[in-house]
Amino acid sequence: MTTTGSTFDSALLETEERRALRKAVGALGRRYGRDYFTAAVREGRQTDELWQEAASLGYLGVNLPEEYGGGGGGLAELSIVLEELGAAGCPLLLLVVSPAICGTVLARFGTDAQRQRWLPGLADGSLRIAFGITEPDAGSNSHRITTTARRDPATGGWLLTGRKVFVSGVDIADATLIVGRTEDARTGKLKPCLFLVERDTPGFDFRQIDMELSAPEKQFQLFLDDVALPADALVGDEDAGLLQLFAGLNPERVMTAAFSVGMGRYAVGRAVDYARTRQVWSAPIGGHQAIAHPLAQAHIELELARLMTQKAAYLYDAGDDMGAGEAANMAKYAAAEACAKAVDQAVHTLGGNGLTAEYGLASLLTASRVGRIAPVSREMILNFVSHHSLGLPKSY
Amino acid sequence: MSLRIVVAVKYVPDATGDRHFADDLTTDRDAVDGLLSELDEYAVEQALQIAEAADDAEITVLTVGPADAKDALRKALSMGADKAVHVEDDALHGTDVMGTSLVLAKAIEHAGFDLVVTGMASTDGTAGVVPALLAERLGIPQVTLLSEVAVSGGKVTGRRDGDAASEQVEASLPALVSVTDQSGEARYPSFKGIMAAKKKPVEALDLSDLGIDAADVGLAGAWTAVQEAAARPARSAGTIVKDEGEGGKQLAAFLAEHKFI
Repeated sequence: MTTTGSTFDSALLETEERRALRKAVGALGRRYGRDYFTAAVREGRQTDELWQEAASLGYLGVNLPEEYGGGGGGLAELSIVLEELGAAGCPLLLLVVSPAICGTVLARFGTDAQRQRWLPGLADGSLRIAFGITEPDAGSNSHRITTTARRDPATGGWLLTGRKVFVSGVDIADATLIVGRTEDARTGKLKPCLFLVERDTPGFDFRQIDMELSAPEKQFQLFLDDVALPADALVGDEDAGLLQLFAGLNPERVMTAAFSVGMGRYAVGRAVDYARTRQVWSAPIGGHQAIAHPLAQAHIELELARLMTQKAAYLYDAGDDMGAGEAANMAKYAAAEACAKAVDQAVHTLGGNGLTAEYGLASLLTASRVGRIAPVSREMILNFVSHHSLGLPKSY
Repeated sequence: MSLRIVVAVKYVPDATGDRHFADDLTTDRDAVDGLLSELDEYAVEQALQIAEAADDAEITVLTVGPADAKDALRKALSMGADKAVHVEDDALHGTDVMGTSLVLAKAIEHAGFDLVVTGMASTDGTAGVVPALLAERLGIPQVTLLSEVAVSGGKVTGRRDGDAASEQVEASLPALVSVTDQSGEARYPSFKGIMAAKKKPVEALDLSDLGIDAADVGLAGAWTAVQEAAARPARSAGTIVKDEGEGGKQLAAFLAEHKFI
């Protein structure tokens, strides 16, 4: 299969190690490939073999600190892993949440005990943590979150109450990092706080949402009704919740962008293969501009999105959370748009074959929409850019 | 004492690319991206497994090739080899198997060795004779085309699968083995391996370092010469046998005509 080349193959733009990582992860991904992924979805199982093998090679924990068994790299490396697996047709969605959001938050803000408990497992892939933020009535607007924790005077722990929707992989995660709020003792105002809820916690009720998405990882609703949590379920500092939350959300956006770029590259690769070999009358269809130009356009737009993704990862890894926030939002937006367009054009290139199970592109039509909607919608990003980048009045 | 393993590897144009000959009828290295020959990855893998099973072993990976051939060494180092030797010299352009084996032999002697491991052939030249030539030049036993290999008690043992029989073969160290593509899939470089590779030593040598006369290598020193090269003709359309009751007979007639049956 063709995997489209890139200006990133230049050593001037990406270090030798990152290019070696791209090649190695790509080779692993292609050995599993799209057929492995679709078979797992069809049979209702997880892509655990790929997860395990990628984990044992250290690819899943590239961004986590070396002292906890991670690779000591950053978001740049982790986004390479996800993008290349996606370009091979077999992305691992939980990379977006487990090492990227939860691993980052725990590494930066967790207590020593929390780091010891979770990071080595996140790094070697033996533990996974899901991430619950979206609520039925608040979306992902962290200021409107109603899931609330209050102190349990009897135990000194917490009682957590609320609802979450569209949480990926709760069933296969050992715990879920839940964004809630607590009452500030001084002002009485609610402020965001992060809680680790282990899957077998009594009262932790999760139900699968039926989705029209071909993905091994399922989506869940969470129902929490005074779920009793130990005192150490609170991540890090009660007063630094918002900072902690944003520290996790930037990696989420960058990884969502990498997910979209990978999928888009996979789709363009399949379409290019087809357009090169599919012959109608005397010439391959790829020789016709009506076929070639839209694919060239898709390729350009994916490259641009990839460049912005790299920029966001670079800023994040350099410690510029604010600068990374703007770039990460733009990367997520650009990558989702480029991916949706690439998949649309790939399916169209194959004509009727684009809708067959054999070619396996049609299911990407829905999958490519995920990046437009999650973790924040395209419109919320446009709001952010209008307000923060352009200084226009707030619309809400 | 440490078991010293030298793996000889080649940097070749990607076999999945559209490969061409250059104007002087040598391999055109510019047209297609290069990489560590896939067949040599098996050699690196077996060397790593031998080293892992040994109490104490050190793997040197060796290549003869242009500047970009460092990529092949880096890949082998990222898979777990300990150090590398790169023989690079402008006079080497166009060297054939005789010259290549000469340079490899001198470099292996320079590095020091108990066991030399190679692949079964290169994916570009595919002559497949360098392992034998190399053993001859080094004056050591050769056990080639192994699909299984192990080292213990000062001996290398292995299985050599032929069409008619499988042989168990062995040789006393120092020795040379070549391994086939049936010896076991090569590992992927781990992230730690990738990060460690850059810090591992790569020794750069040229012909004068090895005491080799430039006249013995290169196009001029080659014992063989490519006279002419032509692209393989495109495959012609196949014959479709349509079964309208006589399909079996027609198929048999086609196969008989082409002497398959």
